Amino acid sequence: MTDGIKRRDFLKVLGVTGAGAGLSGCSTEGAERLLPYVVPPEDITPGVATWYTTVCKGCSAGCGMWVRTREGRAVKIEGNPNHPVSQGGLCSRGHATLQHLYNPDRYTGPMVREGGNLRAVTWEDAETLLATRIQAAGGRVHLIHGQMGPALTSLVDEVMAAVGGSRTEYEALSDAPLREAARIAFGTDALPRYDIESARMLVSFGNDFLETGVNPVGYARAFARMSGSDDHGDKGRFVYAGPRLSLTGLNADEWLPIRPGSEAALALGMASALGGDAGPYGSVLSAFDVRSAAQATGISEDAIQELAERFADGPSLAMGPGVGAHHRNATAANVAVMILNSVAGNVGTTVTMGAGPSSSTRPYADMESAIGAMASGQVGVVMVRGTNPAYSLPSSPSGSGFQDALASVDFKVSFASAPDETSALADLILPDRHFLEAWGDSAPMPGVRTIQQPVMQPVPHFDSKEMGDVLLSLATRMGATMEAATFRDYVRTEYNGVLGNEEAWRTALKTGVVDVPASIPGTGALQSPDSALSFDAPVMDGGDDLTLVVHPSPRFGAGEFANSPWMLELPDPVAKIMWHSWLEMNPVTAEARGIREGDFVEVTSPHGSLEVPVWLYPGIREDTVALAMGNGHTDFGRWASDNGVNAMALLPAVAEQPSGSFVTVATTVSVTPTGDRRRLATNEGSSDQHDRPIAPAIALADLGHAEEEADDGHGALMELQGVGGFVPVDAHDGAATAFPLEGAQHGNYTNAHEGPRWGMAIDLDKCTGCSACITACQAENNIPWVGEDQVQMGRDLHWIRLERYYEHIDATQASHVDVRFLPMMCQHCGNAPCEPVCPVFATYHTPEGVNAQIYNRCVGTRYCANNCPYKVRVYNWYRYTDENVPEPMTWQWNPDVTVRTNGIMEKCSLCMQRIRDAENRAAVEGRQDRVPRDGEIVTACQQSCPAEAIVFGDLRNPETRVAQMVESERTYRVLDELINTQPGVHYLKKVTFHEVSGGAH
Amino acid sequence: MTTLNPAERPPLTPTERGALTHPDVERLSDVNRDVLAILGRPGKGWWLLFALAVAGVGVFFGAWFWQIYRGIGVSGLNGPVGWGVYITTFVFWVGIAHSGTLISAILFLFRAPWRQAVYRLAEAMTVFAVMTAGIFPLIHVGRVWHAYWLVPYPNSRFLWPNFKSPLVWDVFAVTTYFTVSAVFFYLGTVPDIAAARDQAKGLRKKLYNVISLGWRGTDAQWHHFGKAYIFLAALATPLVLSVHSVVSWDFAMSIVPGWHATIFAPYFVAGAIFSGVGMVITLAVPMRKAFGLEAYFTTKHFDALAKLCLLTSLIVLYAYLSEFFMAWYSGEEIERTAFWNRLFGDYWWATWTMLTCNGLVPIMLWFKRVRHSIPALFVISIFINIGMWFERYVIVVTSLHHEYEPWAWGIYRPSITEMSIMVGSFAWFSFWFLLFTRLLPPVAIAELKEVLPPPMRKSATHQEAH
Repeated sequence: MTDGIKRRDFLKVLGVTGAGAGLSGCSTEGAERLLPYVVPPEDITPGVATWYTTVCKGCSAGCGMWVRTREGRAVKIEGNPNHPVSQGGLCSRGHATLQHLYNPDRYTGPMVREGGNLRAVTWEDAETLLATRIQAAGGRVHLIHGQMGPALTSLVDEVMAAVGGSRTEYEALSDAPLREAARIAFGTDALPRYDIESARMLVSFGNDFLETGVNPVGYARAFARMSGSDDHGDKGRFVYAGPRLSLTGLNADEWLPIRPGSEAALALGMASALGGDAGPYGSVLSAFDVRSAAQATGISEDAIQELAERFADGPSLAMGPGVGAHHRNATAANVAVMILNSVAGNVGTTVTMGAGPSSSTRPYADMESAIGAMASGQVGVVMVRGTNPAYSLPSSPSGSGFQDALASVDFKVSFASAPDETSALADLILPDRHFLEAWGDSAPMPGVRTIQQPVMQPVPHFDSKEMGDVLLSLATRMGATMEAATFRDYVRTEYNGVLGNEEAWRTALKTGVVDVPASIPGTGALQSPDSALSFDAPVMDGGDDLTLVVHPSPRFGAGEFANSPWMLELPDPVAKIMWHSWLEMNPVTAEARGIREGDFVEVTSPHGSLEVPVWLYPGIREDTVALAMGNGHTDFGRWASDNGVNAMALLPAVAEQPSGSFVTVATTVSVTPTGDRRRLATNEGSSDQHDRPIAPAIALADLGHAEEEADDGHGALMELQGVGGFVPVDAHDGAATAFPLEGAQHGNYTNAHEGPRWGMAIDLDKCTGCSACITACQAENNIPWVGEDQVQMGRDLHWIRLERYYEHIDATQASHVDVRFLPMMCQHCGNAPCEPVCPVFATYHTPEGVNAQIYNRCVGTRYCANNCPYKVRVYNWYRYTDENVPEPMTWQWNPDVTVRTNGIMEKCSLCMQRIRDAENRAAVEGRQDRVPRDGEIVTACQQSCPAEAIVFGDLRNPETRVAQMVESERTYRVLDELINTQPGVHYLKKVTFHEVSGGAH
Repeated sequence: MTTLNPAERPPLTPTERGALTHPDVERLSDVNRDVLAILGRPGKGWWLLFALAVAGVGVFFGAWFWQIYRGIGVSGLNGPVGWGVYITTFVFWVGIAHSGTLISAILFLFRAPWRQAVYRLAEAMTVFAVMTAGIFPLIHVGRVWHAYWLVPYPNSRFLWPNFKSPLVWDVFAVTTYFTVSAVFFYLGTVPDIAAARDQAKGLRKKLYNVISLGWRGTDAQWHHFGKAYIFLAALATPLVLSVHSVVSWDFAMSIVPGWHATIFAPYFVAGAIFSGVGMVITLAVPMRKAFGLEAYFTTKHFDALAKLCLLTSLIVLYAYLSEFFMAWYSGEEIERTAFWNRLFGDYWWATWTMLTCNGLVPIMLWFKRVRHSIPALFVISIFINIGMWFERYVIVVTSLHHEYEPWAWGIYRPSITEMSIMVGSFAWFSFWFLLFTRLLPPVAIAELKEVLPPPMRKSATHQEAH
């Protein structure tokens, strides 16, 4: 040690390097400061969720919401079970409103357009500018708005009266024809309410009530109760008549693939076959009979006759054409359906006049006159709020002329909270708050009000202000005296009558429902029409042989949700395509034209043309093609812009007579392949079950004869068992006893536990395939989106996959429809193939029967996914969470669930965090054995399911709902009889009216 | 470089064992001279190949690091197909690794004298192939930085690997196989390194001095060597069967239709030997040419290797056919669909490539003329290599992409990164193999001498080095 390193030198080196290592090891780079609340807010307990009720403004239905907030941030939305509209369910779009709240593309504050560019200004300056311009315009101010609650409407009217302006309501999706038909036929100027649940025979004439109608969640719930079998052979029948099977159509028992626009002929033909009293419409009825209906619709007389007879038979209900079938005679078609209902005696029973949802029903005709006023210079200042006509109205030469008219207005103001095509044309942008940050109310149906209360402080990234407050300030600036200082006060004052004292107000906020007096006519007699009605086939533009159906998208509505990655990546409930647009075409039509799936085609109408890939669909008539609304935005945020096509490019702007509604089925198109091709971004592997027991069904007539059925179905299996082959565990009593398995005292399955065995039952006879569960799961479990390129490669990350198997679809004649929807998530097998193959125990069995995945332990061999027969394990190929989710969308993360990094496997956990939460609460309440009561644990998918198809609970306790459902003779477990996986997720077979053929029963 | 032109040498009288070997190798010293000449200054061709290999290694690790940095998403793997080119190539290299031990250990135990010329090359191939194969599980996992969790080691979390998982068996099987074959390879080389040491100069001499472990060729040393060698041969023999059986269980232990079959272990072992012997031919032919070893790698050797190929090819073909038969005979719809899909589904081309290369082409080996034609054998061996890679591709990919749940069926397309790593693995293997040919005697000097006629008294003036 003399001439080498000296001891002191060594220590010095050691000290320096040690300190360096220490410093770099404890780097503060990337660390975030954690600041405790200095003064803790009263209603926030860290780690405990706070819930607020409010109302959904995602569409005009007005569903009640419960918003879960954690540490002051909204993290999850659920349906409010107290609410009469939605009754606890929530649709995908309802969930996705959260992504609008945290939309990173939102305007960061008020802005003025100067020389084409936006310049940030203060609210003070912006409001002064607005007041000045309105003054300069001498009161020639006009507000174009989408749906608004009653309070905001009355404030707007008050302010407009004060400044001398006017307003026009415009919603891209409107039910004006139905409302007009109700007025014409019964003199009731309101939508009727359909009591779907009580009907035993339901006929929809192109009404897509399950997806985009006036009340998708509420109607889906009622439909599931009507159509879901109760094991006693009682099941309502649903017939869909229309040129294309929408999601609603796929749920039908029978499909009449009628020609586009022939709904009236069919309804009148049925009505005349019933032969009842049609009052003033008797002459109309005499002009139609079954034969003329058959000629108009292309359906056989027998089928129509049979349908009419069945319709007459029981409590029946017919629903007139909705937005996806608004052709030039849509009002007449709705009147025809009302005549049918009236003749069948349904008015006053299953059809309640005037009791329907009071959703936005102003027709496009109003907008037409507003455009005319703007174009002719009658408007000095135009304000746009909550609607996007620059996108949702056709801008072709035969279009609405909205853009030109807007350009001719001196000063354009937009209240859009995030950029859209209309705000891109505005001179002043006053970003409104998202409805979850703002006050308001809603009147979803007569007699029901809901207070819209802010559930969190406004997202601080965006300097937004409620339009109500802006209007109040504007009125004050312009010299009016307003009683309310803030819009919140204004809303409160509006309810002084019904919610007089503070306690009632608080209760209303807590329950989310306010009852108000309402008078409902209920029933009525047919009246003579006061305007001309044509029940004939509507005129279509152009002379091509393909009729174009433009329908609202179940994911995007009319396009409002096109910038939500959740919605973009949600497989369309029908086409199962994500992100991009597609043209639906019958395979026969495609073959005749030499078109393959994925081929780009040029679709040309007399009004315009666009290029879009083709998706082949057996559920559309051969003479019809369909395009969904919602995509093809030019200025709507980072995800929406330049994604897909806007169907409006093909449509003229036509107002239907007499309702004035926008016509969506207006034109024929020619379709020519361009030669380009793409791989569709879909999760559909095969829509054919290949006779495998994935989604079996049982014929209604076979219910109650399960024993024979089993023998018939599994003869080969029985034979195998007879010679000593494996013995599958019977699903029925298996649920309770199959876990733990025999011999399960070893290894992974060590279990002397007598606690619960968590499991699930899903009634496939109720499931409508709406896919709300997928978005609910995505929101609850911090599942990021992966993007179009990844989805195209087959890497979608959803924990639930909604499989859609075609068994029978016939687009040429009236025939039964057999399409099986199956929500497939981790089956939580008692004998899980994934568990033994994981080399590091990253997946294992909990003592409560849950197949658990430990993210931190996973090294990513993907063996579990290979060995999973259900293919429900999804893998983080990239750092999707970090790379795809921008601030402030990260605010939506559920703090109870880990966010996952790349290289690890994930899957359904049966909402483990909710199980633990309930157990903790049971423990805090000092309950014995800490077991939550049945129904206390509600998984995210179950909570949202509008159809109440999903039930979660303890399989071992025979008292629970899930255990009782599992006892049903319809219960089966997917593939269990083949590979003995003994899943904890049970399915109840779909019940069909027709005989079920093939091996899949 | 010395070329052994048979025309320049007087013919040697055939002896009892001489028929097996080389009519033009006369004296024991010729062996030393010819083999050690290979260790001389490399030519341009070698440098070119070496430069290519180094570049390929760069691609190999570059692509891998890119994948680690970016995420395993840079592969083409997806929902249904969680394993693809990486596992295919892993199994391919493990298979290649087989014939080395088979030739050196099993044939040693069976006293097949033709092994002597090629066994060194086969053993080296084995070691390098395992070194290549062993990297693939690391490349393939999503979080390679946690891959050590598959190894049982005491830790504060009291976590242990899952011994039910075939992947853990794999860890043991492959590491054991690597250890034993590396030791076996090294042990057999020691006397030859000593021979090289005696001729080497400078740095090489120092290196050989160390790694020849003081071998002087004494009786005692030969005695111990012989004991150790036969002991290790006995130890390595069961490993030939076990490693690939375990690798096959990665598939067979699952419930994937197309994987779950009891035939897998023997089927994989036969396939491994088939591919390994094919690879020996692929390597021996150019070596023979480049290093002038025509006198040592004779048609007799190639004939024997070709026969081994033919035998294993028949076993493999039998396994293919019995798989298809069993799928049909089971009456099980899902199993049937899986095999139908293999032949006529999206990946029909891979299956037919496999069947052609592994079942059809080797039929030519029935003909003696083919077995004795070195160019023909070389071409056939390339077919075998390709065919055996596709065999694993077919097993891995076609089984996964159409499994139980029709809705989840999908298509897998390998990405550029995956293909780069796959091609790079050949460079990585070649890198080591090229170094081997220049640093260690690539033909077993000592053992070759055993098959030469013993030196006669009249030529006793010539002293053998060892």
